[in-house]
Amino acid sequence: MTNVIDIDNVHYRPGKGFELRDLSIHVPAGSIYGFLGPNGSGKTTTIRLVLGLLRAQRGRITVLGDQMPGDATKILARVGYVPEQPHLDPTLTVREILRFQAAFYPTWDGRRAEQLLDQFQLDGERLFGRLSKGQKAKVMILLALAQQGDLLVLDEPTDGLDPVVRRDILAALLEYVSQRGAAVFISSHLVHEIERICDWIAVMDDGRLVTEAPMEQLKSGTKRLRVSGAPAALGATPFALFNREPATGTTETWVVGHWKPEMAPFFSGIGASLEEVIDLDLEDGFVELLRSFRARPS
Amino acid sequence: MFDRIDPRSPTPLYAQIAGRIRVAIASGELRSGAALPSVRDLAGRLRVNPATIGQAYRELETEGFVEIRHGAGTYVRELTSGRRTRERARQAKTLVERLLADARRVGVPIDELREAIEGALGARTT
Repeated sequence: MTNVIDIDNVHYRPGKGFELRDLSIHVPAGSIYGFLGPNGSGKTTTIRLVLGLLRAQRGRITVLGDQMPGDATKILARVGYVPEQPHLDPTLTVREILRFQAAFYPTWDGRRAEQLLDQFQLDGERLFGRLSKGQKAKVMILLALAQQGDLLVLDEPTDGLDPVVRRDILAALLEYVSQRGAAVFISSHLVHEIERICDWIAVMDDGRLVTEAPMEQLKSGTKRLRVSGAPAALGATPFALFNREPATGTTETWVVGHWKPEMAPFFSGIGASLEEVIDLDLEDGFVELLRSFRARPS
Repeated sequence: MFDRIDPRSPTPLYAQIAGRIRVAIASGELRSGAALPSVRDLAGRLRVNPATIGQAYRELETEGFVEIRHGAGTYVRELTSGRRTRERARQAKTLVERLLADARRVGVPIDELREAIEGALGARTT
């Protein structure tokens, strides 16, 4: 098995407004896969499809080698899930929640759960409803880790949390990954966090996939170029041209994808000159990708 | 040793981490036989993907700086002082190349740059 999640040509339309169209996403085994996109782009919907909580009208979803939703029970036993909103009973204590959760998972690791309680400085006797937002988030991640799954699906697990809590949660997550070799599928708004931990990236917009690529490829291939003397009309380019706008005089700023240094001679070929290649970080690249995706003729 | 790892930099994280370790080895901060942090510890500490740490360690192993003993950790190899000196020289060259590239971009001519360097060196020795 090379992928832990395969989404192939999935189509999902819950009503008149929103739809997921022709979605294909492939999460390699052992990867930490970042799922980026603006609010309402379909990230949570995709996650709910992967977990069998929603059913696609068309297409195929394979998780850990089994079919979703047909093999849902088998799959969910091996998947740790942290939803966007805590869904736990506020009238139970933290330790009661652990006992409750443990009953569902034969692979539950009670020692690990205790160790994480300690590491997260959580009081097991406290009612869940009385916990702070950060403490609730820690309980949620604790449940997903103690379950000892082979895949973690995290829907904005650190959104709206303070930096100290985020740090604790990420450290526990990464420790788990290096110990178990589990794959992680994580959606987030926090581009810098994703940039730090992920080795694969998918970007969604308006129910469609904008791009899916290894992080390094996306980062090293997305550049801002300073170009002078370029003709207005261009033929085919060896890179993807996301954006082109005038700077000063005959100089223009181009934003390109799939860039490689060997492509520089292209510019002399069209009678232009490449003045400078400027690196973009993931956030700049993300913004440029979305901008060009939205401007494309549909 | 791992301060200021910058995920936004165009230099991949694994290369930044390998670079920090190379500097520590060249400077003698990490001596022969010293153990590097485990992949798990360092991933948690730097909040980066464990695969990134693994990639950094493998690169250092290929270059002959460290030895990965399977299941037992990663250790700095016995290095001759010549090897450490050569590594320092290589790092010095990289620093100078970066300085020259920056100077060119900002439009500082070479003789002015040389003057500034000598001025800074003079200020330090007097």
